[in-house]
Amino acid sequence: MLMKRSNVRAMAAVGGVLILLTISGVGQTRRFFDDDPITREPETQDASKAQGRDINLVFDLAMNLFTRPGDSTADVRARNINTIDEVPDSSWFTNRILARPVTVDEAARGPLSEEGPAPGTWTITAPKRAGAAPGFIMRDSKDQLWFVSLDGRGHPEAATGAILVANKIFWTLGYWQVENYLAVFQPGNLEVAESATIRPPSGVRRKMTRGDVDAILRGAHRSVDGSYRAVAARAIPGRPIEGFFYYGTRSDDPNDIVPHEHRRELRALKVFGAWTNLIDMKAGNTLDTVVSDGGRSVVRHYLQDVGSTFGSGANGPHDFPEGWEYLQDGDLTAKRLASFGFLLKPWQTVEYQDHTSIGRFEGDAFNPAEWKPRVPTAAFLHARADDNFWAARRVMAFSDEMIRAVVATGQYSDPASAEHLARVLMKRRDAIGRAYLPAINPITDPMLDSAGILSFRNAAVDAGITQAPAGYQASWFAFDNATGENRSIGDTTATTARIPAPPDLRTGGTAFVKIALRATGGPTSWTQPVDVYFRQQGAGVWRLVGFERLPQPEQKSNFSSEMK
Amino acid sequence: MRGTVTIVFAIAVIGISSPAVGQQTREAQIAAEQAEKAKDLRPYERTTAEQVFIRLTRGFTETPSGFYPAFGSVYGGGGFTLGAGYRRFYGDRTLWDVKGLYSIRAYKLVELATQSPGHAQGRLDLYAQAGWRDATQVAFYGTGMDTTPDARTDFRMQQASVTAGMRARPLPFAIATLALSYEDFTIKNGAGRRPPVQSAHSPATAPGLGASPKYLHSAASAGIDWRPSAGYARRGGLYEIGYHNYIDQDQTLSFSRLDAEVVQHIPILRENWVLSVRGRVQSTLEAADVVPYFLLPALGSGSTLRGYSSWRFRDRHSELFSVEWRWIPSRFALDMALFYDAGKVTSRRSELDLKSLKGNIGIGARFHGPAATPLRIELARGQEGLNLVFSGGPSF
Repeated sequence: MLMKRSNVRAMAAVGGVLILLTISGVGQTRRFFDDDPITREPETQDASKAQGRDINLVFDLAMNLFTRPGDSTADVRARNINTIDEVPDSSWFTNRILARPVTVDEAARGPLSEEGPAPGTWTITAPKRAGAAPGFIMRDSKDQLWFVSLDGRGHPEAATGAILVANKIFWTLGYWQVENYLAVFQPGNLEVAESATIRPPSGVRRKMTRGDVDAILRGAHRSVDGSYRAVAARAIPGRPIEGFFYYGTRSDDPNDIVPHEHRRELRALKVFGAWTNLIDMKAGNTLDTVVSDGGRSVVRHYLQDVGSTFGSGANGPHDFPEGWEYLQDGDLTAKRLASFGFLLKPWQTVEYQDHTSIGRFEGDAFNPAEWKPRVPTAAFLHARADDNFWAARRVMAFSDEMIRAVVATGQYSDPASAEHLARVLMKRRDAIGRAYLPAINPITDPMLDSAGILSFRNAAVDAGITQAPAGYQASWFAFDNATGENRSIGDTTATTARIPAPPDLRTGGTAFVKIALRATGGPTSWTQPVDVYFRQQGAGVWRLVGFERLPQPEQKSNFSSEMK
Repeated sequence: MRGTVTIVFAIAVIGISSPAVGQQTREAQIAAEQAEKAKDLRPYERTTAEQVFIRLTRGFTETPSGFYPAFGSVYGGGGFTLGAGYRRFYGDRTLWDVKGLYSIRAYKLVELATQSPGHAQGRLDLYAQAGWRDATQVAFYGTGMDTTPDARTDFRMQQASVTAGMRARPLPFAIATLALSYEDFTIKNGAGRRPPVQSAHSPATAPGLGASPKYLHSAASAGIDWRPSAGYARRGGLYEIGYHNYIDQDQTLSFSRLDAEVVQHIPILRENWVLSVRGRVQSTLEAADVVPYFLLPALGSGSTLRGYSSWRFRDRHSELFSVEWRWIPSRFALDMALFYDAGKVTSRRSELDLKSLKGNIGIGARFHGPAATPLRIELARGQEGLNLVFSGGPSF
């Protein structure tokens, strides 16, 4: 049948467009780019117009307690990971422990760059604006701006110690942290700036007076020598624009394209929070600042307040259920209502050692999978086994020595309290390893050498948590990066973490190879293979370009997805 | 042909306009997505839900100058009450406050107050208030414990008052209060269908019947209180004694009264349960004093004998015992309690013993915050049947 002339023209037009699309790259299914895996999250747009916002903490609390903000899709793979399942450095996160050698001294120093407040007179410029702990904002004798928070009355060293120690831990883990310094001062060293104002309950701002300072100090713990122990936080560089939510993106930050609930480093805070008992995960404890980076304004995201850690809050020990239950849980409420309170939970009977400066913090009954922050946190609710595994490896990378060194920065006056804190952190670290490392195929660090030997590690075995499996099995494929198609090369096995490649790989000219690697004779979860991709970059030189511990190919991953 | 071209064009536009495609590097791909977002940047804007939430909660959680919804009670037995208030600060913490309340039984309250808390390094609160309330149908069953429910009569009590006082906490656990009031009572027939008091009583059975006294009322109390908050507590205790002196401007109905109250909360298994006990005694001091029937110590409903109606028992002396077994379904918002109350009123102090007490059992739900109990709903059963209690405060 002869085609009509118009149909011919139409087909020609379609064909022309398809050719154009092909030339321009549109429509191709290339999986790995030449720059994969990226190690730095690009921030290409100017964010100088990002503005401060007034976050209503009560609304934020209600949203998280009674709704499920953010993406409602379950089991979404983290979207800010690169093609080898890692989190690139960014304005959210900097790879430190595990990604590179971190010395004990480096961890103990944490984010501190210089020294604390200069001695002499401190000039108070304003009362503390956020948080429950008593405190104020001041300039030291060198005119450096500091945010000072104190221990609550009757709870010496508790709040300040927690801030100092947690500050180092979260910096070592990779988060942007404030520089927190221990400072001790006498009330006589304080004066009020002429320009200082305060907003009393009336809401009418007025000049701050010495009486206001005395009122702040009355809520703080005073040492027997009349001095006050405080944490002085150096002002964060840049322009503060309030905090971030654990869901969604900032509508005024062009570089913030991954919903926060799908950022792995935020999901991982579920594990890090469990380790340190950081229960107060709210927008009000975070801080975004606009900073200049490489000549461009970008938004940097700080975990500003990590003080509600271990067993203590700003003004006393954590309430007994904190860390064990959400502040409000409808299901639990109904069960307790119907059972006249006879639905008992571990927190009602767990034993705590009596250390005022540490509070209620223990490691024997701790169950990482059951740990809960004060309110449900959107990013935590999206955490998958691969996110937990990623986080658990970092926790396990803290040695006993490093933990003790970090705890020492809390400068607890009672050595027994410091030792107790260190020991509990070690116990909780090990519990996290036991919970999350064997729960998923724990193969890590694959390398393919020029002799065709695939070597790798087993994180669960390396941590001494489980015995080595009976063996490993590798299924080898020639991988077509343009089409995503796999062609089987063969299967090989080994009883150790070194598996030879099949002969076809060594003789063929394969550019990309995919290896589905599983353990045999180990936990059932280890039979789910990890997919490893290498690119040949010269004769026998293989570079790791892809790693999927828990693949989910049907879902989009901003930084590692196939192009659609 | 035109349709085909349109489709082709659409395919091309969709394909080319997608920021994630057509890039040769991962960085370029991400940059394209960021560039796409940069075209539509918007400052953070509160959603309608957030704006409404903030507006609603500000009246409960903050004390800004301006209008606010008011809850509370005009007088016992008034039923569900709503109102509104307006406050204006004239110092850091010092404010004027005017509010009006109206109940489903047409009880009314208008009150102008000033509060000035936080003096003497936070140890002293001062206040003054002037108000007028109208309780339209207050019950009087006669005095003593032997009255019957069908003996109810009603009266209407209108009270104008001016009060100045202070609350002090000189030591962390020590409390003291002082107050001086001028109170002008006007007693009328009740507004409801119940018979008026004078139809069933004489001055012998209803002391002060027919009088509308004006009092200079002074009150003082002292005690220790280590509860986290008087509005809501799961631990701590209160041991307090108070003295009231009513001087009738006509010198005929003056009297003085001693109040004593003990409250103890005993947490069990880290406040999974709380055993709460209370004892309260109110005693008219001078045997010769005549206490008007509407100011006699009373028991019934509210936070007293919760299985009986409001003002069910009145006499010159009263004693009340309550025990509650509380469990905490939600530490955030909800307590439950099984309770037992027992008490009696007597004409002689010597009769204040444990004999012939009226009792009730009940179950209650308390919707609370960290320091307040905005709503308490309780169902209690006494010898006269069921009684439902709605209250805007803790039981004790």
